Amino acid sequence: WLRCRNHSEWFDYEMARSVKCCGCRQCNISFSSIVLFIVLSVGGEDQPDVSVVLSAYSQQGDPSLYQVYYSGLKKFIESVLDCHRAELSQLFYPLFVHMYLELVYNNHESEAKAFFEKFSGDQECYYQDDLRVLSGLTKKEHMKGNETLLDFRTSKFVLRISRDSYQLLKRHLQERQNNQIWNIIQEHLYIDIFDGMPRSKSQIDSMSGSLAGEARREANKAKVFYGLLKEPEIEVPLDDEDEEAENEEGKPKKKKPKKDSMGSKSKKQDPNAPQQNRIPLPELKDSDKLDKIMYMKEATKRIRLGPETLPSICFYTFLNVYQGLTAVDFTDDSSLIAGGFADSTVRVWSVTPKKLRKVKSAADLSLIDKESDDVLERIMDEKTASESKILYGHSGPVYGVSFSPDRNYLLSSSEDGTVRLWSLQTFTCLVAYKGHNYPVWDTQFSPYGYYFVSGGHDRVARLWATDHYQPLRMFAGHLGDITCTRFHPNSNYVATGSADRTIRLWDVLNGHCVRVFTGHKGPIHSLAFSPNGKYLASGSTDGRVLLWDLGHGLMIGELKGHTDTVYALKFSRDGEILASGSMDNTVRLWDAFKAFDDVETDDFTAATGHIHLPDNSQELLLGTYLTKATPVIHLHFTRRNLLLAAGSYNSQ
Amino acid sequence: MRPARPDVTSSAGLVGGEKGTTVKMASPKTLPKDAQVMIQILKDMGITEYEPRVINQMLEFTYRYVTTIIEDAKIYATHAKKSSVDADDIRLAIQCRMDQSFTSPPPRDFLLEVARQKNQTPLPLIKPYAGPRLPPDRYCLTAPNYRLKSLQKKVSSSAGRITVPRLSVGAVSSRPSTPTLGTPAVQTMGSKVGTPVSLTGQRFTVQIPSSQAPSVKTATPSTPGAVQNVLINPSLIGSKNILITTNMVSQNSSSDSGSLKRKHEDDDDYDAL
Repeated sequence: WLRCRNHSEWFDYEMARSVKCCGCRQCNISFSSIVLFIVLSVGGEDQPDVSVVLSAYSQQGDPSLYQVYYSGLKKFIESVLDCHRAELSQLFYPLFVHMYLELVYNNHESEAKAFFEKFSGDQECYYQDDLRVLSGLTKKEHMKGNETLLDFRTSKFVLRISRDSYQLLKRHLQERQNNQIWNIIQEHLYIDIFDGMPRSKSQIDSMSGSLAGEARREANKAKVFYGLLKEPEIEVPLDDEDEEAENEEGKPKKKKPKKDSMGSKSKKQDPNAPQQNRIPLPELKDSDKLDKIMYMKEATKRIRLGPETLPSICFYTFLNVYQGLTAVDFTDDSSLIAGGFADSTVRVWSVTPKKLRKVKSAADLSLIDKESDDVLERIMDEKTASESKILYGHSGPVYGVSFSPDRNYLLSSSEDGTVRLWSLQTFTCLVAYKGHNYPVWDTQFSPYGYYFVSGGHDRVARLWATDHYQPLRMFAGHLGDITCTRFHPNSNYVATGSADRTIRLWDVLNGHCVRVFTGHKGPIHSLAFSPNGKYLASGSTDGRVLLWDLGHGLMIGELKGHTDTVYALKFSRDGEILASGSMDNTVRLWDAFKAFDDVETDDFTAATGHIHLPDNSQELLLGTYLTKATPVIHLHFTRRNLLLAAGSYNSQ
Repeated sequence: MRPARPDVTSSAGLVGGEKGTTVKMASPKTLPKDAQVMIQILKDMGITEYEPRVINQMLEFTYRYVTTIIEDAKIYATHAKKSSVDADDIRLAIQCRMDQSFTSPPPRDFLLEVARQKNQTPLPLIKPYAGPRLPPDRYCLTAPNYRLKSLQKKVSSSAGRITVPRLSVGAVSSRPSTPTLGTPAVQTMGSKVGTPVSLTGQRFTVQIPSSQAPSVKTATPSTPGAVQNVLINPSLIGSKNILITTNMVSQNSSSDSGSLKRKHEDDDDYDAL
C-alpha cells in the first residue's frame, strides 16, 4: 500500500499498476510518477507544510518533452479561428509559469532554463515583471522562500473562456492524447465558462494582468450596500445657542423637538444603503455635532465644479526632504498636515496661522481657573506653541498617516510592523498596535472614527478599533502585499489594493470579500471612493486610472494619460471631478460625472460582465498641471472644493 | 581578503539620507570582482537606476551574511566532532538563520483559516460615553516611565495645607513600556507627608484646607484637559473621605464618569503593587 502524496489517501500499488493511474479518487497521476511515490514514501516522515504544498508539482511527465507539449499547444492555438484565438491565448501565461515551476521543483535545472529561454518572449508584455522574478528562480530552494509564488501555485489561475472556444480546446487536448497539458489545466487553472460571443483581444487585455487571472463571476455577485448612511439630524442654529432640536438638517430654524423625527420626512431607507446599525458606530459627541454644523456652513460656500469651472490647486511642497517623504494626510477641514518620513518621524504642521498647542502639564493645569469661559484656551500651553510638532516613536520609515475625523488622533503605520495612535492634544504616542509583523504599507481611519484599517506585507488587511489591542477583522485573500487600504464612505466596506494587481472589497461585518477587480497591470497604489459611494477609482504603477462600479462589480472606465505611477486620487466634494496625482510630476483633472454618465445608459450584460470600454480618456481629461520637479503624493479637496496637493521636491 | 569591519547597521533599504547621483558606474573594469558581481545581479533583476552606495551596501550585507553562516557552520562542525566544515554544516547554518532572520509571512491557507475564525465573532458594541476610546492601560503607552524617589519629610502639625504629592497617574512603573506623557506634579506646599504615598491604583492623598475652595486638579494623561477626579485614600488620612469632581468643560463631562468607570475596570487589569 502506498500513500498518495497529494491527498494522503492510501491506494493499492498492484491495482494502480494495472489501471495505470493512482487509485486515489482525487488525482489522476500517470504511472511514471508512481515510482516517485515509492521512493518518497519509503523515506517519508511528515514533511513541513511547504513541501506538501509544493508536492503537487510531482512529475507530470518527461521533462524533456515539456517543450514539445508547449509548442504543440502553441501551434494548435495559432491554427484556430481568429475569434477564438484571443481567448485561448490566455492559456499561454499560466501554463508557461506552471510548467516552468514544475521543472524547477523537480530539479531539472537545465531543461527549465531552456524552456524559459524559448518561450518567455512570447508572453504578454504586462507580465514582464513576473517573468523577471521567475528568471531568477532556478532552484527548488528558491521557491521555498517566496510566498507569493507559493500562493500562486495553490490558488487557481482563473480564465474566462466562452463555451465555443472551450469545446474546441477540450476536443483538441483529448483527441491527441495530450494528457499532460490537460492534467495541468485541470490542476492549476480554473476555467470560468460563459455562454456568448468570444471576447476580443482588447476586452481581454483590459481585464487581465493580475497574478491570479481574472475574477470568477460568482466572486462579484454578492450584494454590496454602497449607499450612504443617513446623516443625523442636527439643527443649524442661527445664533450661537447650542440647543439641540430634532429637525431636518440644513434648515436654520428652531422648532420644538418632535416625538418621532426619523421616518417622518421623505427619506425612506435607501435599498442600496446599509442599515444604520449594521455595524456599530460611535455616537456623536457634542464636539462632533459642532463639527458637523461647521461642515454644513462650509458646504454652503462650496464652489460647484465642472468642466467649465475647474478647481484652483494649491501645492504644498516639502523641501529638504531628499526623497524621505513617504506619506501625507490632511484633516478634513484642511487645518493640519501630517507627513510621514523615512527617518521614522511623523511631523504635523498647521496650515492655518493658528499655531499648534499642546495641553499643559498636570502641574500647570491645576493652577488654572476652571470656571472661566475660555477654559478651553487656558488648558493649552502657549509657551510651547509652534508651527509644527515632531512625533518620535517608530523605528522604521512611516508609510501611512491618517487623521481621525474629530482631529483628536493621528495614526501612522511603519515598516517596523506597528501602527501607532498619537494624540493631537498632547502630541505624544498613546498606543502601538502590534499585529502585522511585517511592514505596514497603509492605514486609514474610518470616516466616522473609532475604526481603522491597516494593510501590509503579510498580505492581510486588519480592521482595528482604537480601544482593542487586537484586530477585530482580518481580511485575507490577496496574493501579494496590500499597498493601499480605504474605507467606503458608509464605513461598512473596506477596499484594498495589492501588489498582486487586484482590488478587493471587503465587508466589515463578516470579513467576506464581496468584490474582486482585476485589470491593472501593476501594483495598485491609490484608491478613491466617489462621495456617493457607488464608484471606486484606482491608480497603479502602469499609469492608468480605472473606474469600477461597485453595485454591478464591473469596470466602467479607464483614464489613460499619466506616464508613471498614480500615487494620489481624490474625488471632489460632490463627485464632479476626479483629480489624480502621479510620479510624473503632474496633477490631472478628469470629468467624473461624464465618465459615470455613460455607464447609466449602457445595457449591462450581467451574465458575462463584459463591458466594451470607450476610449474616451482624451475627452474626459479636463486639465494637466505640471509641477517643476515634484511628484504628487497626496491630494485633498477642501470643504469648499479647493484642491490641495502635497509632494516633496525632488531636485535630481 | 577584506579586512574585518565593525558591524555597521546600514543594511536598510536603498534610500540614502544624503543626495546621491543616479548615474551608472563609469568604469567597471577598475572595480573589484565582487562589485562587478553585484552590478551584474542588479542588471539581471532589471534595476537600471541606482545610487552608487547601493553596491557598497550590498557588498557589506553579503560579507556579513556569509561570515555569519560560516561561523555558525564551524560551530556545528565542531559540535559534531568533524575535522572540517562540510556542505551539511553550511546547509544547516543557512536553515537556522533563515528561520531566525529572514522569516516570510505565513502561507495563505493558514491566513485564511485564522481570518475565518477571527471574522466569526461579531463586532463588539461600542459603549457610549466612554471618553477617549483606548485599550486597557497595560496596552497603552500612556504610563510614565519613571518613578520619583520618596521624600522623607516630617508631617506638619497643621491640618490646613494642601499637599499634592507624587501624582503618577495611570499604570505603575512595573509596566514594561515606554515613554511619554504625564508630567506628574510634585508640589509640596507647606506640610509634608509622613510616609511616602503608596501608588495603588489611582488614588492620591490630598488634604483639603477648610478655607480654600476645592480646586485641586490632577491630570490624567489619557484624558487631556479633563482630569478632575481625586479619590482619597482613607487609610492615609483616616479622617475624611472626600470625593472631588469638578466639571471643567461640557464636552468632557461624559469623560468624567467614564474615566471613573475606566479606573475601576483598569483595576482589574492591574497587578497589585
